[in-house]
Amino acid sequence: MLDSLASGLTLVATPLAIGLTFLGVMFGLMVGALPGLGPLMGIILLLPVAIGLPPVAAMGFLIAIFIGGSCGGSISAILLRIPGTPLAAATLFDGYPMAQKGRAADAIGIAISASALGGLFGGVVLILFAPLLAGFASGFAPPEYTALAITGLIAIAVVSDGSVLKGLMTGVLGLLVATIGTDEFSTGYRFTFGAYQMLDGFHIVAIVVGLFAVSEMAFQVTRPGLCDKPEISIARPGFRSVLITLRHWFNLLRSSAIGAFFGSLPGAGGVISSFCAYAVAKAAAKPHEPYGDGAEGGVVAAESANNATVGGTLIPSLALGIPGDASSAVLIGALLILGYFPGPTLFEQQPEIVGGVFLVYMISNVFLFIAGILATPLFVYVLRIRKSYLVPTVLLLCVIGTFALQASVFDLWVMLGFGLLGILLRSANYPLAPLVIGVILGPLLENNLRRSLLISREGYWIFLDRPVSATLLAINVLLIAGAVWFAMRRRSRSKSDTESANN
Amino acid sequence: MKSKLKLSIVSAIAALIALPSIARANFPERTVENIFPWTAGVAMSVSQIIAEAMGDELGVSIPVISTPGAAGTKAFRTAMNKPADGYTIIDGYVAPLVLQPLLGNADWTYKDFTPLHAGVSNAFSIGVRKGEDRWTDFEGMMEYGREHPGELRYSSGSRNNLPHMVIAKVLQSYGVVAQNIPYKTDGDARKDLQAGVLDFAFINVGAYLQDKDGYDILLVLSELPGAKASYDGAPSIADLDIDLGLSGLAPMGWNWWVVHPDTPEDRVAVLREAMSKAMAREDVREKIERVGFVPLEWDHADYEEVVGPVAGQLSAMGDALAWEEKQLEQLRN
Repeated sequence: MLDSLASGLTLVATPLAIGLTFLGVMFGLMVGALPGLGPLMGIILLLPVAIGLPPVAAMGFLIAIFIGGSCGGSISAILLRIPGTPLAAATLFDGYPMAQKGRAADAIGIAISASALGGLFGGVVLILFAPLLAGFASGFAPPEYTALAITGLIAIAVVSDGSVLKGLMTGVLGLLVATIGTDEFSTGYRFTFGAYQMLDGFHIVAIVVGLFAVSEMAFQVTRPGLCDKPEISIARPGFRSVLITLRHWFNLLRSSAIGAFFGSLPGAGGVISSFCAYAVAKAAAKPHEPYGDGAEGGVVAAESANNATVGGTLIPSLALGIPGDASSAVLIGALLILGYFPGPTLFEQQPEIVGGVFLVYMISNVFLFIAGILATPLFVYVLRIRKSYLVPTVLLLCVIGTFALQASVFDLWVMLGFGLLGILLRSANYPLAPLVIGVILGPLLENNLRRSLLISREGYWIFLDRPVSATLLAINVLLIAGAVWFAMRRRSRSKSDTESANN
Repeated sequence: MKSKLKLSIVSAIAALIALPSIARANFPERTVENIFPWTAGVAMSVSQIIAEAMGDELGVSIPVISTPGAAGTKAFRTAMNKPADGYTIIDGYVAPLVLQPLLGNADWTYKDFTPLHAGVSNAFSIGVRKGEDRWTDFEGMMEYGREHPGELRYSSGSRNNLPHMVIAKVLQSYGVVAQNIPYKTDGDARKDLQAGVLDFAFINVGAYLQDKDGYDILLVLSELPGAKASYDGAPSIADLDIDLGLSGLAPMGWNWWVVHPDTPEDRVAVLREAMSKAMAREDVREKIERVGFVPLEWDHADYEEVVGPVAGQLSAMGDALAWEEKQLEQLRN
C-alpha cells in the first residue's frame, strides 16, 4: 500500500490536482449548506468538467465535492435548524441549541473538525483495510441488511426527544410514506392515486427540506423581532475547535468507526450512520451531558459519522466496483470514463491511481478543516441578518434547491406538503427526525425482508441460519429489552418520587 | 401622417408574424433538458458525455436529469407532460420505450415518439462467481437447473426489465425454473452473487471489465461478434444448439434519444443535426467505449428499421415472464 501511495503522490503533487481539490471542497461546502442541493447534485453538476481532466485531479475534484457536501449541510442545520442535506438531520439536535446559546461558531467549528477528523479516520480505514473490509461487507446479504434496518429503527427510541411513543408514531408515519411508489417486487403501484409523479414515491430531499426548513421558517415568522437587527456578538472559533472536538475523542473514534462501517455496506448510507452514531453517543452519555440541548458530543457524533461514511463508501466502490451509494456510483462512472475500472484489477494494475485517489481523499479532509474554519465567520454572519430578509431568502433557496433535484414542480408541492406536516407535528411536540429515519429505513427493511424470504428455501429460518444476521437480531432483542427495562425503571422511579413528594 | 401610421402598423404585424420563425431560427435559446429514466450511475454518466458534446454543438447546456421510477416509465410520462417545444429530450431506453408498453405498463409504442439519433448499446451476459463447482458451462448449469426445479436463485437487477425477460426466455427454452430476486441496483445483485447468495446473475460489460477475475461468463446474451469480444470470447447465444429467437439489438440494453411527437420539425432538425455531430465525434466515442458501452451510428431514418424488429421479437418472447411466474407458483403449491 505504501508503494501505491508513493506512486500516487507524483500524480497528486501538481498545482492542478491540489487546486481543484481545494475548489471542490469549497464548492461542496456551498452545495451542502444550501437546502436541497447536496453532494450528489454537486458531483453530477461538475462531472462533465471533471472527465476532461487528468484522472487523479478529476477524482480529487469530485471526491472533494463529496466530502465538502457531506459536511456543508451541518452549517445550515446549526445556524437555521435546517439540515442542508439529509445527512445533517442528526446534527441539528445539538448544533442548533448550541447556536441559540451563543455558541454558533463553536458548533460549526466542532462540526467541521469532527467531519474532517471522521473523514480522516474513514480514510485510514480505507487505506489500510479496503480489500479486507470489502470482503467482509460483500458477505452482508439481505438477511443481514434486514437485521441492520431493525437496529436503525430502534435508534428512533433514542433520538425521540420527550415522548418515545410520539417518536415511534412519527417513525411509523415515515415507514408508511416510504411505501408510496412502485413496489420493487410486484412492480405494482402503491398509493400513487394515478399520479405519475408519485411512481417513485417522494424525494427524500423534498421531504427533509419541507419538514425542517419550511416549518422552521413558519415558526421564525411567528416569533417576535422579525424586523429587528439581531445584536449578536460572535466569537471566532479559530483552530481551537479541534481541541474541543478532541476532548470527545472516544465519541469521535466510535462514531467514525460506525460511519466507516455503514459506509462500507452498499446501500446503508450516511443518514443512517449519523443517526445511529448519535443514538449510541446519547445512550452512552453521562447524566450531566445535555444531549438534545446543545451537547458538543452530539455534533461530534453525527458529523464524524457522516463524513467517515464517505471513506467507507469508497471501500466497496474502489475494491469491488460496487457503489456504496448514489454519489459513489457517479464517482465510479467518472473513473470508468477516465479509462480506469474500479475493482480488484485497479489495485493490481494501476496502484498509482488507487494511491492517488486515497491521497486526494485525505488531502480533501485536511482542506475541509482549513477552509471550513477560515470561512466560519462568513457562515455565522447569517445570524446577523434580519429575519425579515433571512426567511424569504432561505425559502427561495429551498425552492431553487428542491426544484433542481428533478426539475419538477411536483417536488415543490411535496416540500410544501411536508412543511405543513412539519408545522403540525412540531406544534403538537412530535419529533421530526424519526419520520426521516422511517422514510429512509422503510425500503431498506421491507425490500430486504422480502428479498430474504424469496432467497430462503426454509422461510424465516434464513435469519437464524446465518451467523451475522442471527447475532444482529440477538443484539436487537437485547436493545429492545434494555429500552423497555429502562422505561419501566424510569416510570417506577418517577412514580415513587411523586408519591414521596405528596407525602 | 396617415400613411406613416399604416406603415408602422403593417410593419408591427409583419414583425409579430415573423417573430415565431425568428425564435425558431434562434432555437435553442436556453437549456435543453435530457430526462434520464434511471438513478445516477455509469449509464447516466454516458448520457452526460453525449449531452455535453451535443450541448457544445447547440451552444447551450443539456443537463441530464435523473427521473427514476416504474421501470423508466415515470421519466417518459414526465417528459411527455412538458411542452413539445424541443427543450425536453427523452433518454429512450429500451425498457420504457418498448418493453413496458408490451407488458401493459405504458400506453404508448415506440412509434409515438420522434427519434433524434441512436445512443449506445450495452451487451450483457449470464455470469456465475469464480470457483463455482456445480457446473462447468452453461449447458451444465441448465442440466442442474432441470434436476433441481425452483432451486436456483438469480437476479436480473430489477424485475420485468430487459435482462429479466431475456434470461426468462433462455430458461424457458431449456425448461429450467429458477427464482428471480429483484434488487434496487445491479451492483447489489453482483455483491450477493459473489457472496454465494445467488447462483447466477446478469453481468453487463462494465461490471465484467471491473472484475474479470470475479466472474465466469457462461453465456453472452447477444449474437453480435462485438459483444462476444467484449467478454473475451465467452460463449454466446449464437453458439447454442437451440434457437432462442433473439437477434440484433433485441437481447441488449440500448437507447435512442427521442422527443415529443408534436415537437416542431425545424427544432427536431436542429436537435438531430447536433446529436449526429456529437455521436460522430471521436472523443465522444472513445469516452463511451472506455466504459464498455458501444456508441451507435444509426440516425433517425433508421429508427423504424432498427426498433421495429426489436419490438416484434420482444413481443414474441413476452410470455416467458408469465411462464416463469406460473411455474414457480405451481412449485410452491
